[in-house]
Amino acid sequence: MASIIDIKEECALHVRDFEFTYKGATAPSLKKVTMPIAKHSITALIGPSGCGKTTLLRSFNRMHDLYPGNSYAGEIEFEGRNILGAKEDLIHLRTKIGMIFQKPTAFPMSIFDNVAYGMRLQGIKNKTELNDRVEKALKDAAIWKEVGDRLKHDANGLSGGQQQRLCIARAIAVEPEVLLFDEPTSALDPISTQGIERLVIELKERVSIIIVTHNMQQAARVSDYTGFMYLGELIELGETEKLFVTPREKLTQEYITGKFG
Amino acid sequence: MTAVQKRVIINKIALALSTFSALIALGFLFWILGVLVMKGVGALNWNIFIFEGAPPGNPESGLKHALVGQGILIGLATAIGVPLGILAGTYLSEYGKNSRLAHTIRDISDIMMSAPSIVIGAFVYAVVVMPMGHFSAWAGAIALGIIMIPVILRTTDDMLQLVPGELREAAFALGAPKYKVILSVVYRGAKAGILTGVLLGIARVGGETAPLLFTSFNDNFFTTDLNEAMPSLTVTIFNYATSPYEDWQQLGWAAAFILSMFILGLNILGRVILFAGKKRK
Repeated sequence: MASIIDIKEECALHVRDFEFTYKGATAPSLKKVTMPIAKHSITALIGPSGCGKTTLLRSFNRMHDLYPGNSYAGEIEFEGRNILGAKEDLIHLRTKIGMIFQKPTAFPMSIFDNVAYGMRLQGIKNKTELNDRVEKALKDAAIWKEVGDRLKHDANGLSGGQQQRLCIARAIAVEPEVLLFDEPTSALDPISTQGIERLVIELKERVSIIIVTHNMQQAARVSDYTGFMYLGELIELGETEKLFVTPREKLTQEYITGKFG
Repeated sequence: MTAVQKRVIINKIALALSTFSALIALGFLFWILGVLVMKGVGALNWNIFIFEGAPPGNPESGLKHALVGQGILIGLATAIGVPLGILAGTYLSEYGKNSRLAHTIRDISDIMMSAPSIVIGAFVYAVVVMPMGHFSAWAGAIALGIIMIPVILRTTDDMLQLVPGELREAAFALGAPKYKVILSVVYRGAKAGILTGVLLGIARVGGETAPLLFTSFNDNFFTTDLNEAMPSLTVTIFNYATSPYEDWQQLGWAAAFILSMFILGLNILGRVILFAGKKRK
């Protein structure tokens, strides 16, 4: 069966026997997934299309709840509680577990308002505090140099790569514990991709990161741990270097050597 | 003659016929506009804006009553129709989505959009004018507001659906409650489209006569009393144009010109806003 390593570090999230079923589906899309996610490191999820990696990612901030009829089973432990509980405060959860999407999702408002969006939701109104934190978030997302002098400009005027870094700034401005990246570079050019990858690596000092990617090289370049998924199951989770060099599962080996995909 | 030559000739005939038809259609349009501009501009003068209606032959007669009345009616109708239309459109796009209720509302709204406006006038006559016992600006505005709702509802629904789902998800992912997602992200994204819908809705009711005939009726004198009959440009055009008096007919032309320019202006403005909004993205 699946070979899942025990991680040395503390866990940011712990998935246990997790199952997820989409509305109207007869079989679960994720089957008995058990997986520790290390704090302050990067965990990549790889696997062929339809293997459930994005479905798993979107379970961590309960994004599936936006569409009624989906159901969860099992447990995802975060900060000592099971976040799948019916009483879980989703608004609070999503401020703790942020998400970056495949396509850049700059809101139709100024650059400043984009970054301040999450903070304003939390009731921060103090101008100085907002200014300081927007500047810090933009600096941390390595985009301050490009937009620092035009914060009042419409965010839709930025390039795709800039917009993606703006979205990262927006997500880290609310100081989450975990950041989920859903193929964050698949809509970007190689240079922007490089910028985002460098940024993701820098960010792990402060947040725990889970990244879904179609691109095995990307997983190899940025992540500390890699999970390989296939048909809704987690086949193998291991240290990235070991998983790519000496996979313990035959399926993993076939996938990373390109026998199927 | 080869098959290709034959097709080329058929193509040329079809092209000539359709061009000719387009020219005829446009010809009538420009004929109407041309007559309207010539007669209308000739009838314009400052008195129109200074004096209210007067008996025929009185040089101190104008359209102040009808212009102000029209403004009040349209303003009130907008105040009634726009919030209802936008909120209903928001329900369809953000809450109802593909539910049965939402589809039913969309179908009924589409039927309402093509319902004869006089039927809506008759409805308001029955439920507002009869119980009140007299014509009123309120009744006229309610009739116009009802006509406006399906236009605004449909454009709002369509424009909100054009806002990408990822944008909503991104706002939710930052911990935004649903009403905030709609107010601060979805509405902003669809701002230009919704505004265009509102302008087109106003333009749609601006030229209505039938529903006003038995709701706000008409008055030849200046009034701002919403509980009384209220003059409008359209009904005034009808009365003056069908009168036998030369000076009233002149005022009718002026009123027709002003109204047409107002509606044309709204339509152009609506399109400009939509175009500018699209270009920005």
